Amino acid sequence: MPPTIRLASERVELRKVQDDNPPKIYTPGEVVHQGTDYLRGHGTYLDEDCVKSSVAGICQKINKWLIVRPIKKRYNGEVGDVVVGRISDLQMKRWRVDTNARLDSILLLSSVNLPTGELRRRSAEDEATMRKYLQEGDLICAEVQQVFNDHSLSLYTRSLKYGKLGQGTLVKVFPSLVKRQKTHFHDFPWGTSAILGNNGYIFIYPTSQRSGKEGDGYKEDAEETITLEERENIARVRNCIVALAHYKQMLYDTSIAVAFEESKKYEITQLLTPEVMAKIASVAQQSLLQHSRNH
Amino acid sequence: MLTTKTFLKKTKRGNILKIVREHYLREDIWCGSALCDKCPMSEPVLSENPESASELFSFPHYIVLDTCVVVHQIDVLEEKTLCNVIIPQTVIEEVKHQSSTIYKRLKDIIGNPGRNFYVFVNEHHMKTYIERQRGETANDRNDRAIRKTVAWYQSHLASSQSGINKSERVQILLLTNDGKNKELAAKEGLCVASVREYIQSLVGCPGLQDKLAVTEPERDGNAREYLFPPHLPPSLIHDGIKSGKLLQGTFYASRENFLEGHVNVEGQEKMILLQGHAGLNRAVDGDSVAIELLPEDQWSSPSDIVLQDEEDDPGDILDDRTEALSASRAASSERIPTGRVVGIIRRKWRQYCGILQPSPVKDTVRHIFVPAERKIPKIRIETRQSEVLASQRIIVAIDSWPRHSRYPSGHFVRALGPIGDKDTENEVLLLEHDVPHSQFSEAVNACLPKLPWIITDDDVAERQDLRHIDVCSVDPPGCTDIDDALHCRFLDNGHVEVGVHIADVSHFIRPGTALDKEAALRATTVYLVDKRIDMVPELLSSNLCSLRGNEERFAFSCVWEMTREARIVATRFHKSIIRSRAALTYEQAQLRIDDPAQKDAIATSLRELNRLAKILKRRRIENGALVLASPEIRFQVDSETHDPIEVEAKKLRETNSMVEEFMLLANISVAEKIVEEFPECAMLRRHPEPPVANFEPLVKAGHKLGFNIVTSTGKELAASLDEAVLPDNPYFNTMLRILATRCMMQAVYFTSGMLQPDEFFHYGLACPIYTHFTSPIRRYADIIVHRLLAVCIGADSTYSDLLDKRKSHALCHNLNYRNRMAQYAGRASVALHTHLFFRGKVQDEEGYVLFVRKNALQILIPKYGLEGTLYVVPKKGEVATANFVYNEEEQTQKCGDVTFRSFDPVTVQLSLDRSNLQHEKLVLKLVKPVIPGFSVPSSDEPIPMAIDEQDGGKCKDGSVVDTVSQKNKSSPSKKKRKK
Amino acid sequence: MDLISDQGLRLDGRRPNELRKIRCKLGVFNQPDGSAYLEQGNTKVLAAVYGPHEIRGSRTKALHDQALINCQYSMATFSTGERKRRPRGDRKSIEMSIHLRQALQAVIKTELYARSQIDIFVEVLQADGGNYCTCVNAATLALIDAGIPITEYMVACTASLANGETPLVDISHLEETSGGPNLTVAAMPMSGQIVLLEMSQRFHLDHLDKVMKHALRGCQEIKAVLDKAVRDHVASAGAACNWEFKTD
Repeated sequence: MPPTIRLASERVELRKVQDDNPPKIYTPGEVVHQGTDYLRGHGTYLDEDCVKSSVAGICQKINKWLIVRPIKKRYNGEVGDVVVGRISDLQMKRWRVDTNARLDSILLLSSVNLPTGELRRRSAEDEATMRKYLQEGDLICAEVQQVFNDHSLSLYTRSLKYGKLGQGTLVKVFPSLVKRQKTHFHDFPWGTSAILGNNGYIFIYPTSQRSGKEGDGYKEDAEETITLEERENIARVRNCIVALAHYKQMLYDTSIAVAFEESKKYEITQLLTPEVMAKIASVAQQSLLQHSRNH
Repeated sequence: MLTTKTFLKKTKRGNILKIVREHYLREDIWCGSALCDKCPMSEPVLSENPESASELFSFPHYIVLDTCVVVHQIDVLEEKTLCNVIIPQTVIEEVKHQSSTIYKRLKDIIGNPGRNFYVFVNEHHMKTYIERQRGETANDRNDRAIRKTVAWYQSHLASSQSGINKSERVQILLLTNDGKNKELAAKEGLCVASVREYIQSLVGCPGLQDKLAVTEPERDGNAREYLFPPHLPPSLIHDGIKSGKLLQGTFYASRENFLEGHVNVEGQEKMILLQGHAGLNRAVDGDSVAIELLPEDQWSSPSDIVLQDEEDDPGDILDDRTEALSASRAASSERIPTGRVVGIIRRKWRQYCGILQPSPVKDTVRHIFVPAERKIPKIRIETRQSEVLASQRIIVAIDSWPRHSRYPSGHFVRALGPIGDKDTENEVLLLEHDVPHSQFSEAVNACLPKLPWIITDDDVAERQDLRHIDVCSVDPPGCTDIDDALHCRFLDNGHVEVGVHIADVSHFIRPGTALDKEAALRATTVYLVDKRIDMVPELLSSNLCSLRGNEERFAFSCVWEMTREARIVATRFHKSIIRSRAALTYEQAQLRIDDPAQKDAIATSLRELNRLAKILKRRRIENGALVLASPEIRFQVDSETHDPIEVEAKKLRETNSMVEEFMLLANISVAEKIVEEFPECAMLRRHPEPPVANFEPLVKAGHKLGFNIVTSTGKELAASLDEAVLPDNPYFNTMLRILATRCMMQAVYFTSGMLQPDEFFHYGLACPIYTHFTSPIRRYADIIVHRLLAVCIGADSTYSDLLDKRKSHALCHNLNYRNRMAQYAGRASVALHTHLFFRGKVQDEEGYVLFVRKNALQILIPKYGLEGTLYVVPKKGEVATANFVYNEEEQTQKCGDVTFRSFDPVTVQLSLDRSNLQHEKLVLKLVKPVIPGFSVPSSDEPIPMAIDEQDGGKCKDGSVVDTVSQKNKSSPSKKKRKK
Repeated sequence: MDLISDQGLRLDGRRPNELRKIRCKLGVFNQPDGSAYLEQGNTKVLAAVYGPHEIRGSRTKALHDQALINCQYSMATFSTGERKRRPRGDRKSIEMSIHLRQALQAVIKTELYARSQIDIFVEVLQADGGNYCTCVNAATLALIDAGIPITEYMVACTASLANGETPLVDISHLEETSGGPNLTVAAMPMSGQIVLLEMSQRFHLDHLDKVMKHALRGCQEIKAVLDKAVRDHVASAGAACNWEFKTD
């Protein structure tokens, strides 16, 4: 497809949603609340005796905490979150993982499954062969085990669900768009699966691969060929996710599914054009609105 | 609303730059009319009922002017008849770009509320802004913008006048001389007229038509010959200068020879000579011109003859006296680079005073105007009032100089008064020298302190109380603005305390006030023979600031402790209050010093001061200070008629020198102090060393008589001048010193941050640093120095302009200019009074030959300090009565067995030739040595008056009085030598 | 040249106390955490913020109790009338980067992000006077877009003196080079604190006060404009996802 060039002023905008009750927006430096009866939470700070906002967002009161939530923020880990990350560095007895947070996360050697599946203490020999398990640049899927004082995360991949990821596509979106759900592993009816990492990294892969992943998670399935149809599906899903993210729609299985249905009308490559992206996003938005109204 | 203006500009290096600028369009620009009910203007400028004085356009109307109308017809605009005029911003910006003087005049008119002139900012108004279309020139676009403004005004005011009868509605009239603009405007349905039509249709102002400038080319039936080569267009001039083919410089016309002049090219030492009509090619004195150098074999030398354009209008033909010039292409050794004018870069035309030359043709409208300034050519004007104006001094402005015309064309501006009348002549003098002499305005007078003025306790607390000290002042007789006083006391430690107290003018003139601005503009008090144009109002100059006798006054004191050998031990400056014991004249002070019976405090201090002054002077001379001479004369003026009664040379007494020495010392001390504190912005005075070339006439003259004048340093010059004495000719040394004075450069003010410290040198005084501090009443520079010094001692605070180097530099520029003009004006005033004095008199006087020229002898008459020309070769049309042979090598004129050399004594007869009303001439005729057929008998013998004051009869040996060779003036309240 | 005409208008038609037209947009890029585009008159600036993230490069630079702020100021080669040879790394750019850092460090709550790094990149696309101010303002917007907590808006504005007496606000390049003294103020408008003050020439003390007041007032006005833009952006983004976005 030949490249298209457009002016920025010809940007396509989504139709504005009628908001009946827009919540109050606070901007940095604005006073949220006078007086000291509330405690300051994230996004606020105390100045003399009033609580002021330090980001631009909406205010939430949780118990006695005043929190201002901005639209975009770096990922802040919670225990139990599923994240997708890339190994950035090897250190003594652990790996450093880049998870789009403000500090790199740590994956301790003791938190991974040994390739042989044993349960034993890690020896010095294991240390030396760390590189055999995971190298720099490998994609892994893990869960947050612990959050340290400085907000860096400690990951572990002890379950079979987690581990090194094989062939597939990684999509990076803003972490705030990934909705928190019970499970982050989704299998779609058309043969692709996705891992929606809380940190905004989404991994799309063909379902068939997953089923083959048993026992250890380290075997390279590079030899396994993925069919053209599967590839196309993966590409389609990726484009849908990008379209949704561009127009700030929440990402979860339903929204992706709806978008995918919508996108079937178009060619995969057409999905990159702004008009089509807008169409998909608006359709998703509509159905989701209805969805939320019904529930 | 915002648009952008994009245009391409070429930088100096030749790169093309694209400039993008924002251009905001506003909605809050009001129309300025009192009629309008839409615009919320608090003070509308255009009146509600503009009456129409025009027959052609009888409905009430506002006028909109075009750029060329403003530029060319500014004199018409200054007349009060035109009111309720709208000036679009486009026009005002173009005028500013074209001519800053006209712009200033336009601003003055706009500022006058009685004229109802309103500036409409059409470039930023939302509805009247237009962009340049493709293929449209900038001029066309501007014209279109003006038309759009007119159309907008028409529609805007129409809606506010819906209730009024159509024939009585106020309409908008566009005045333009541009044919194309007129056409297009008529097409668009706008009311338009040319200026000529409009002015001619005005009822009740006949004189207005005379003031119309001639801009349309006269279309005569026969094709006129072009007398002059064409001027190159600006783009070719620019290219020529860049490539080096053409040179740019300022044109200076020669006063003696109207067909000659020279150009001062920047960066070149030698001046380029221009000769002949074709060489001058319509350049007027002061213009910035582009010249082309002629090939070397056509180079010429400045002519030795004196040529004037004397005759009646010969029509548009060139002067045939150019042969006289070509004869002077003599010795190749004397040839200097010669060129010709190929284009005019910038005209420096101003308004000129002068008289109408009577036209031989009756009932004609076209006349010739002769300017008072000889460097300016005659001007052709049109006027219907020639009978009335023939006997008056008038002011005329030049409009253009077409190629086919021998003279430039101009128009009449206004009349000054009868010719020869002293007040008129004074007025002419002041105008020609650009001296501001109007009454002080209300705003200025409002800044003056109210009488009675008393010294409060606060004042006493801030200042040193020196009222107990015996201070006295010494000044010329009749002086009312006393700005300095002295005192001298013996201290216990054997030293002497000497104090110089200067009037504290900066206390009364605060920075930024109207009084301050006016004083800065005038820059100096101008001394004419019978009048004094004050820099500050009289209340200050003659009363509150003046250190009058027995009055308590504020002063700025400079007090030295010095040894009895006049070596300074310590210097102190402070603001003080003094009470002068006596305001003495030089003579009175001298008498007191000389009279041994006088032993009071004043006399003792005067004697000590005198003694110290002599030591100081001696020391200065040892350092190389120059003592120059100039024949100072004083007029004794009749108190009633203000006519001069007697002329006499000034006497220099010891007391003159005494005061002078201490003033110099004070100036030097202050200079050192302010430079220390303000190295960047102190105002100082310097006297640059003259280039060696300047000394040539002096060296030549001295050499002729066997004296070697050394000019390498000031000291050697002073020494060699001292040695050059002729025992049998006592005046010779003085004359040599007079010549030396003429070689000097002008001393100028400058800002210390603009030059290197070694350039601060004052050649004449031989001191490394100097300033003016001691005369703040009559010099603005001293006020600035006072302010700086006050900051140094903590008595006053600074203000931003004081410390701004650039503003200070611009101020110095103005001060130097005004000073120069004041000097010239003073000299011209003396010349005027000399003529007045010699009216009706014939006298014999002794004189000396100063220079020998080819056709004349320059004679100096020491008694009157006059310099005159004695023609030895007859003028055109006259018969030679005696044969004079000019020897260039020897610089002599020989007739028979009488030889005239420089410095020879002669006796001449002086009388006044009033045949040329504008230039009354002093006629010199030779009495001794006797030459039969040429010299005249002594006037002691009874001879009928040969001169008829009414007739235009010319006499033999008509001579010309040049500007008098004096450095200083003589007038009632003159002060020391200006250094 | 006359910076103020007799009718009280400046060279481009503004009155002495009027700002230039400000247009801005937040979130123009997808890749950086925060981005903003700001135009003040003809000065156009793009700002991008990355972070907070792990310190790249040497770990030794990490500050144990606060985040490291790294600024880079660069001018596009086409941003000035004559093509600029070196877009970054020349002395002027380094000086500007340091000043930018100084200004932003005062508002960013760095104590929340120990051992992290925040990168701020500012690129001037068209320079027409007031480059530094536009950069500071754009950087503030980008920071807000990235959700990095700041105490309040950091706004900068220039002011100058025309004809020695009238203060002008928000000067363009032409007015800058015409020779009047320029004052650049970076301040926190709500609390009125001044973080950075830069002066280009000598001022007389008498004038300093009123020029500074004008500059601060200009800062307030700019802040109002920026605030509105931020609110619009948050409102539209939030409405798009129905305020369900999650953080923390």
